[in-house]
Amino acid sequence: MKKGHLTLKVFALIILNDLLDSLAQLAMKKGLADTGITSITFHNVFEFGLQSLSSWFVWAGILIYVISFILWLVIIYRIDLSIAMPVGSAAYVFIPIMAIMFLHEHVSPIRWLGIALVILGIHFTAQSKKDPILK
Amino acid sequence: MTTVVKVILLIVLSEALNVVAHILFKKSANTVDVTNIRGVSGHIVYLKKLLADRLIWIGFGFQVLCVATWLIALAQADLSFVFPIGSIQYIFVLFSAHIFLGEKIDKMKLTGTLMVVAGIILITMS
Repeated sequence: MKKGHLTLKVFALIILNDLLDSLAQLAMKKGLADTGITSITFHNVFEFGLQSLSSWFVWAGILIYVISFILWLVIIYRIDLSIAMPVGSAAYVFIPIMAIMFLHEHVSPIRWLGIALVILGIHFTAQSKKDPILK
Repeated sequence: MTTVVKVILLIVLSEALNVVAHILFKKSANTVDVTNIRGVSGHIVYLKKLLADRLIWIGFGFQVLCVATWLIALAQADLSFVFPIGSIQYIFVLFSAHIFLGEKIDKMKLTGTLMVVAGIILITMS
């Protein structure tokens, strides 16, 4: 395999990594919401930490993060970091589209514009090969 | 300091820590001879090699700090406020990968990255 070239396989791995990351975020947000703490200062940051770590959801989130981290290590030897990270933003496209299909969420025209921009941005980033500006 | 300013600074800090971590991971991955990575066993050997590298663990430390600052920010603000600001990581990684890893910045990558950032801001704010 040619190093640095975005193949379909690498793309699929990045998407899977995205999905795991989103799941971890979701679990952690749920766990944090359960603590009931909405403002953090130096006085309660310790209490916040303890309460968070006593939540099952936060630990589930951390576990999913570890799995996605190992997957990420498998991704990055194949491709430039400055390509892998923007391509990883495909989650911003898949999640709203899934929300439309399965949750029947309404998507505003501005959000559609954003989705189109991310798709185009990934397309351009993945094409990156020619005309180096800085090197 | 108002909560809004505090949250913005925390997210920017969190993304900077995140990018430092990723630069270290990639630096470590770059030291491995990739031609030998084949099949499941090849990947296990590769992962073992990486996990024996100190850079990975330093990167992991940065990642933990990143998650901690992210959680502190997230607990005080809506996800729809936190996420658009987080897209600054793509700008950070573009330049730091050039400086520290020698990855080239070309017109395609620059345009693509800026479009991704603009797109994420529109998706997550609206």
